Amino acid sequence: MLPYSISLTGLLLLSCLIQLFIPPISSWYDARILLLPLILLCGSVTVSTGIMLFLAFLGGFLWDAQQIFIIIEGDPLVYHSSPDSLKFGYSIILYTLMGFLMQGIRPLFREGNWYVSAALTGVALFLYLFVDYLLRQFVVGGFAFDDEMLRQIVTTSLLTMFFSPVIFWTLFRIADLCGHTIQYER
Amino acid sequence: MKPLNFFAFLLFVVGLVWVFTLSEKSVRKIQQLYYSSISPLISKGGQTEAFANEFLEEVENSEDLEKRLEMAISERDRFNLIAARVRELEAENNELRSALDFKKRTRFDVVAARVVRKQPQMWGKTIEIDRGTDDGFEAEPKAPLCVLAPNGGLVGRLQLSGQEVSSILLITDEVSQVSARIEGTNEVGLVVGRQTTYGESPRLRLRYLSKTAILRKGMTVYTDGRGRLFPAKIPIGTIEDFEIGPVYGEAEISPAVDFTKLNHVFVITDSPGD
Repeated sequence: MLPYSISLTGLLLLSCLIQLFIPPISSWYDARILLLPLILLCGSVTVSTGIMLFLAFLGGFLWDAQQIFIIIEGDPLVYHSSPDSLKFGYSIILYTLMGFLMQGIRPLFREGNWYVSAALTGVALFLYLFVDYLLRQFVVGGFAFDDEMLRQIVTTSLLTMFFSPVIFWTLFRIADLCGHTIQYER
Repeated sequence: MKPLNFFAFLLFVVGLVWVFTLSEKSVRKIQQLYYSSISPLISKGGQTEAFANEFLEEVENSEDLEKRLEMAISERDRFNLIAARVRELEAENNELRSALDFKKRTRFDVVAARVVRKQPQMWGKTIEIDRGTDDGFEAEPKAPLCVLAPNGGLVGRLQLSGQEVSSILLITDEVSQVSARIEGTNEVGLVVGRQTTYGESPRLRLRYLSKTAILRKGMTVYTDGRGRLFPAKIPIGTIEDFEIGPVYGEAEISPAVDFTKLNHVFVITDSPGD
């Protein structure tokens, strides 16, 4: 279990670097493959709750290190209303919730129905992006949501979901190499 | 719950409390450290992005070419392609020339930079440029460096710097604030970014104007230099609309910069603001 968990952590760190090479597809509503959340989701279903919590913490921490803006504020007499933004670390909570969602169907996954988990990654990603967007809107106090935005979220979720079999295949190979059994264990 | 899972949960909660109680300074240090670590790969990531975009354009063009070949005008198409390439080079040449002119005529000390990545984040509005701490940018500046477009318009501020790349927070992002003044008036306010949906043009809002302000569409909005963040008299955009709220007036601003066509920028290296 330990070598597999370490390898999964390494894979999560590697995904941060690979993510830099994955551009948004402008002709598909700027959709992109979100590799880090995908590895987290697929990995969550293959490990115990404790390891899942660790992965969610690490993933959320790294994600917010890239995505949250801590800006240098100017003179408070001029910039009297400091801009509102989400607190660093909020992604950890979102990733944990997604991890628990994935763990909910772990019994099915252990019976060999990995494709149910693959489909659930799409649902979990959609929920994650939707909630993330709503939270950002809530914090800044505005609301702009239309069909185009919905398409962007759906396309990103679907595009990312289509790569989940590849991630599962990779995780099975890593588990084999580490002598860890992902499925059929009770 | 298994004892090991319970222990992991406790550790998780402790970690969460630690993260949520981090000061802004600590978070910035973490982000700076993270950005510096990944920065050697960012420009390579930008090249991949450019290649992918070119490939997609090529796919779209090839369908078009097929139709034309069916119409037996392949020769003309070849010349069209050459002409298009020449026009492309001409446009690039003009852009570089105007960038060079800007550097000559600007009153600031500026460093020219190429945009290597656009929109690297899912929601946040940032770009990445090919200049970093190697070019003299401070990793942890006291005041953020201001970034301009070749037409002189305000682009944003330097957010993080790696060795060879830097991240720029655009003025169209919701967390961005710029102290501004409207030309020919005494009206001052804060320009903030506005969330836009996919495909919508970026928009800005000028907040905290007086309710009695007399504003016309097309009036130019400039930075006013107060607040130690941006130098004065940099064009931000033009007024599109003015609304009177219960306490303040608010204006809709069309940015002076076309962010979709932004390929080169200039970073002001002398001290901003008053």
